[in-house]
Amino acid sequence: MRTRKQKNMINKVLFYVALILILIALLFPFIMMLSVSLKSTAETIGFPPTIIPRSFTIQHYKDIFNVQIFPFVRYLKNSLYIALATSVLVVFLGILGGYALARLKFFGKSVISEVFFFVYMFSGILLIVPLYKLLASIGLRNTEEAVIICMIIQTLPTAIYMTRSFFETIPVELEEAGKVDGLSRWGVIFRIIVPLSISGLISVFVYAFMIAWNDVLFASIFIDSTENMTITIGLNSLFNTPDYIWGRMMAASLVTSLPIIIMYGISQSLIKSGRADGGVKG
Amino acid sequence: MSKVKKFWENQNTFAYLLLAPSIILLVVLIGYPMVYNLIISFQDVPVNPMMPSVFVGISNYKDVLADKEFYSSVAITVGYTFVVVVLSTVLGLAAACFLNRDFKGKKLVNALIILSYVVPSVCLIFCWRYMFNNIYGIINYFVVHVFHLADSAPLWFDNPSSAFILVCLFNIWRCFPYAYMSFIAIMTSIDKSLYEAAEIDGASKWEKFKAVTFPAIKPTMVTVVSLRMIWTFYIYAEVKLLTSQVDVLGVYLYDMAFATHDFGKAAAISLILFVFIFACVMLIRKVVLKTDED
Repeated sequence: MRTRKQKNMINKVLFYVALILILIALLFPFIMMLSVSLKSTAETIGFPPTIIPRSFTIQHYKDIFNVQIFPFVRYLKNSLYIALATSVLVVFLGILGGYALARLKFFGKSVISEVFFFVYMFSGILLIVPLYKLLASIGLRNTEEAVIICMIIQTLPTAIYMTRSFFETIPVELEEAGKVDGLSRWGVIFRIIVPLSISGLISVFVYAFMIAWNDVLFASIFIDSTENMTITIGLNSLFNTPDYIWGRMMAASLVTSLPIIIMYGISQSLIKSGRADGGVKG
Repeated sequence: MSKVKKFWENQNTFAYLLLAPSIILLVVLIGYPMVYNLIISFQDVPVNPMMPSVFVGISNYKDVLADKEFYSSVAITVGYTFVVVVLSTVLGLAAACFLNRDFKGKKLVNALIILSYVVPSVCLIFCWRYMFNNIYGIINYFVVHVFHLADSAPLWFDNPSSAFILVCLFNIWRCFPYAYMSFIAIMTSIDKSLYEAAEIDGASKWEKFKAVTFPAIKPTMVTVVSLRMIWTFYIYAEVKLLTSQVDVLGVYLYDMAFATHDFGKAAAISLILFVFIFACVMLIRKVVLKTDED
């Protein structure tokens, strides 16, 4: 009896030791990111490299928010505009489309859901040439709106797929009750369905925000003036300039990652376990 | 009253009203571009947008299919896709098997594992470029000075074969959480009594995996593998920003359009790619349906 208990104990300790080692290996780049962002510039390019900084400084964080020396804040604003516009519109369109596919019987339903799945798999780089020509011809070259449009079509099929599966979990009886109380169809959608699936809709929002925030491809095609650059292509363009200092780049990378990490954490904690895997594309 | 009732009952109209914005967007921005792409692929498109395009028949396709770079690109992409899909799926599955138990801090561990998948790839790429730097990179420091695995440090970014390894490593690390999340979600839903029954029959861990876990996760695995395969096949940013030495098809296509400015050829490349991926998807579907029947 005792040996069994001891064996369990040993197993547990071994498990945690293995877990911690694996996590350190997987998260090593993040550890380095944090460490470099807190090092002096001389130490970042010194040899041998250090994992724990010999001296700590928060100068790089101060620098990236100083608009005189680093264009980070401007990039941040542009990205925020693109990501917010994309996710708000996609959630709205997702509510409408998801409701139709979850609740209504209509002609051509299966064809439409097939097409959405098809688009989910294929879009992206395969359409850069015609999309570029099309949007450039209507005067959207070098605009953030062109990127927003591309991000909407990138995320919309998944968004509809996600909202549909969230709406399907809501009992039909609640809708019937709303109808009896005299709610219109729009009333049913926006007063019953939407409030009941708010956590699901937040995860759709986070998904669209994340794809738009992380995008490199479409921003690099459409945007060429520094004014309009998003955070991803803006930071990347700094690689070949004198502004390029490792500490700042790492500080900027961490700050750029932070909104995604926070939003993802919130959406995961809102959703009951087992459901949350849906539709993250990348 | 009857009018109201009729409106409630006519689901067709309402459904199309709801779906109209999405359908219009997809037709205008996916459907039309697909047709337009086909047209461009038969044209010679001048760099100056004011000049008219000229119909050139299949010469763009001929040029692409005669281009040596195209074939080396295909070879690199197939190799890269194979390595990334297999290893990221295996790693995700291994992590899911390892963590499919109750322990303290499970939620935190899940959140930490997912980090490399959700954070902007550009940020991660900066970090990898720092870590693998030829002069002061910590990876080369470990490889050469700590573990003495090599006499001199590999030039990770400047040599095609080591750059290939680097690109694979990066994307395995970035993509495996997707497989992990998919597998762990299914594994937690497997009925525990099945494992207990297998234990009573004296099954080993591997036998339990083969008899209980694997059949349950098989459909998920097919989905994970096929989606990852497609996404990896036309990847662009996660390769291009890391190194200029690995010309996968995404990079080849992008450069043809926006560096060489040959839209006609670029359109032809994307159509060839499209047909290839489409064939793969159909093949996968067939295999899946067949294995489902067994």
